[in-house]
Amino acid sequence: MRFAKLLSACAVAAALAAVPLAPAQAATPADQLIIGMSMNNLLSLDPAAATGNDVVEIDANLYDALVELDPKNPSKVLPALAESWAVSDDNKTLTFKVRKGVKFQSGNPLTADDAAWSLQRVLKLNMALASAWKSYGFTAQNVDKLIRATDPTTLVIEFPQPTDPKMVVYSLATSVSANVLDRKKVMENEKNGDLGNAWLTTHAAGSGPFVLNDWRAKDALIATRFDGYWRGAPKLRRVIWRHMTESQALRLMIGRGDIDIAAGMSVPDVEAMKRDANVKIESVQRGTLYYVAVSMKDPRFANKSVRLALRNLIDYKGINDTVMPNYGVLHQRPISLGLPATLPEPGYKLDVDAAKKLLAAAGYPNGFKTTIRVLSDPPFINIATSLQATLAKAGIEASVISGTGNQIYGAMRDRSFEIVVGRGGGGAEPHPHSSLRALIYNPDNSDAAKLTNFQGWRTSFYSPKLNELIDGALIEKNEVKQKEMYQEIQRVYDSEVGAIQPVSQMVDTVVIRKDIRNYAGHPSATTHLRDVFKQR
Amino acid sequence: MSASHIHVSGQTLRAAGQRLATVLATLFGLLVLTFFIGRVMPLDPVLAIVGPDADHSTYQQVFIRLGLDRPLYVQFAYYVRDLLHGDLGNALLTGHAVVDDIRRVMPATIELATIAIIVGTGVGVPLGVYAATRHGRMADQVVRLISLFGYSVPVFWFGMMGLLVFYSWLGWAGGSGRIDLAYDGLIDSRTGFLVLDALLAGDWEVLASALSHIWLPACILGLHSMAYISRMTRSFMLGQLKQEYIITARVKGLPERTIIWRHAFRNILVQLLTIVALAYGSLLEGAVLIETVYSWPGFGSYLTSSLLLGDMNAVMGCVLLIGIIFVTLNLVADALYRVFDPRTR
Repeated sequence: MRFAKLLSACAVAAALAAVPLAPAQAATPADQLIIGMSMNNLLSLDPAAATGNDVVEIDANLYDALVELDPKNPSKVLPALAESWAVSDDNKTLTFKVRKGVKFQSGNPLTADDAAWSLQRVLKLNMALASAWKSYGFTAQNVDKLIRATDPTTLVIEFPQPTDPKMVVYSLATSVSANVLDRKKVMENEKNGDLGNAWLTTHAAGSGPFVLNDWRAKDALIATRFDGYWRGAPKLRRVIWRHMTESQALRLMIGRGDIDIAAGMSVPDVEAMKRDANVKIESVQRGTLYYVAVSMKDPRFANKSVRLALRNLIDYKGINDTVMPNYGVLHQRPISLGLPATLPEPGYKLDVDAAKKLLAAAGYPNGFKTTIRVLSDPPFINIATSLQATLAKAGIEASVISGTGNQIYGAMRDRSFEIVVGRGGGGAEPHPHSSLRALIYNPDNSDAAKLTNFQGWRTSFYSPKLNELIDGALIEKNEVKQKEMYQEIQRVYDSEVGAIQPVSQMVDTVVIRKDIRNYAGHPSATTHLRDVFKQR
Repeated sequence: MSASHIHVSGQTLRAAGQRLATVLATLFGLLVLTFFIGRVMPLDPVLAIVGPDADHSTYQQVFIRLGLDRPLYVQFAYYVRDLLHGDLGNALLTGHAVVDDIRRVMPATIELATIAIIVGTGVGVPLGVYAATRHGRMADQVVRLISLFGYSVPVFWFGMMGLLVFYSWLGWAGGSGRIDLAYDGLIDSRTGFLVLDALLAGDWEVLASALSHIWLPACILGLHSMAYISRMTRSFMLGQLKQEYIITARVKGLPERTIIWRHAFRNILVQLLTIVALAYGSLLEGAVLIETVYSWPGFGSYLTSSLLLGDMNAVMGCVLLIGIIFVTLNLVADALYRVFDPRTR
């Protein structure tokens, strides 16, 4: 009988647990912004070690940069911590006038010395985001001399090698690594000469509009308003980024108003939300490109005719019409859309007959076997599936190897792949060099060079002519001539049939509750939330 | 008397020593396997840290910092040395010590799993007993159908449907996460168990919010366990109800309730305990899919993310904990055998 009673108690407990005990919250608080998104790639908040777009948006609101890009017109540079800046006549030096009276969240005054130290720290730590600065010629050894504060409000950046100062200013505006850190606060938390890297992984020391309150990895990051913000306190009291990976859960939660912004939703869910009158869909074009890349270490793909055949075996229209809505827009050039130098689309299209002829001429009349490495997520896997089908039409039997970004890009960095469907190519800076440096430039094609940050090197695409043109265009002072040079680069790349064929340019789509005001998604992912508020 | 007592104590000590040696050997074997399998997996923790666009010098710097340039056996020796000092290393995913991470995520999972197992056992056992006593009749068929449904339909689908119906349509559940974010951080985390912390703080709004979030995923997990527990209970009971002592009890005219609960059910308790303990262990190991659907920051989600990053410190720590959980549950089940079955004493 005792057991029967025990069981009855269990049954009652179970029944109680099944009774709804509180009604779900109907809407988020008016002074809090809740953003649902995947934070899988958020491993460190340290601006010098940040990777992926998740952290870019978060750090953009915890820190300030010297300059910013206008989200509506990304090539327009706006002052931020720097009131003004000037380029020397010889294009070798940038001088910034740092705003007076700005305080960090700690209460420490912000000076040009903090700005210089923050950039020096990036080179000395040599973490994820150092490579862009190294490409300008800065090193851990020369940076103290070349980037320096001459007085509390003057920051001087001398270029170690000729470059386009515009490109450097764009990098300062878009790279998280250029955020200004509170040197004193960071160094109070330094351990074993790590320049505060371990501490900054989970803490922040900036002057931005929001103060990091709590970050629980894979759960939530909470930031509260910084009342002493130099632009004036933000309207929102708290911003909460909640880790949510399941698109349908995001859809249900934004539909009920339990989150204000949903990022990273699948295309069908975004499409479904278009019917909901309480939300709006906003898309921002990013500079990153979706592409099909081949390894020219593979003798088959080293053959120009085979690469040309492959170019004819991509169903650009089908992919962009069916797979890419809300993910990307048709683009086939290596320079991002919307830049003055970008040439009109070349009009590549699926042409199986032409591809077959090219393959026959290259000695592969019956095609061959190959592999396509691809991320297992949409839209990558969908592009790969389409490519697999169109390659088959010309006799190329491709097996798809899917995996995580780590596995796919790891193989690419090791130069051990045949075909990759991927995404990349810089593009954060609104300058042709940003994409060209990432996608095409390859100054040394030897394995020993290990230029793993250049996708040109990863694909073993080596064109001395293009390298020379890219170097030349970057230092050309005459803007008209520079534009012509970038257009020439695109034509040469077209005729040389590069190893990377862009298919689509990335579009980032977010679903936003209708009562959100002043939210402007940024093409460089540095979306600022300081002016966002809710109108109810 | 005294000599016999000493003799028994000696035997008990020897048995306990053997048991401890077995447990330690099992855990060490588990560590060795996980470590070496983890190292041959095609996942690169360095790339996770530096990102796909880092240059070679940055890659090499982190590669060396993580100690990956050393031979595997040296890496393992260092790991074991640190482990013996209670240091499981730092997790790449969070930057925190793995021990702290596990301490943070485990209460969320224990809270969920405990309610789920109460639901699963509380409903599954009576259903199984009922089905066995109605063997072959309509009630039995219905229970079998329910358990088949609960067992075969993916828990992921149940999770999504649960969200759609109880959260989105009816508004009875609190949706994703452990609590409405408006209440997040309002009470001190004394135990890490949100429901318990809210009770201790006497904050009923936070308690209501936490309960509104936990009941749905817990019931869905409970339904899954219930299906398994009810099937096993039914099967065990059918075995007992065919025994001669049951026929004798019936011939003696004992009430049916007494026959079922005091005689037959008592005899399946030992087997049932093992089943429930293992089901609870599986829930503690992490209900990855439910944690994903409900953005539940628990152990399963932590382990999966760490695995996908190639974060071996975190994976090893989690695997070690899973090993300890299962070993402990087995020991507890063994101890309970002794309580409920005098023949094993």
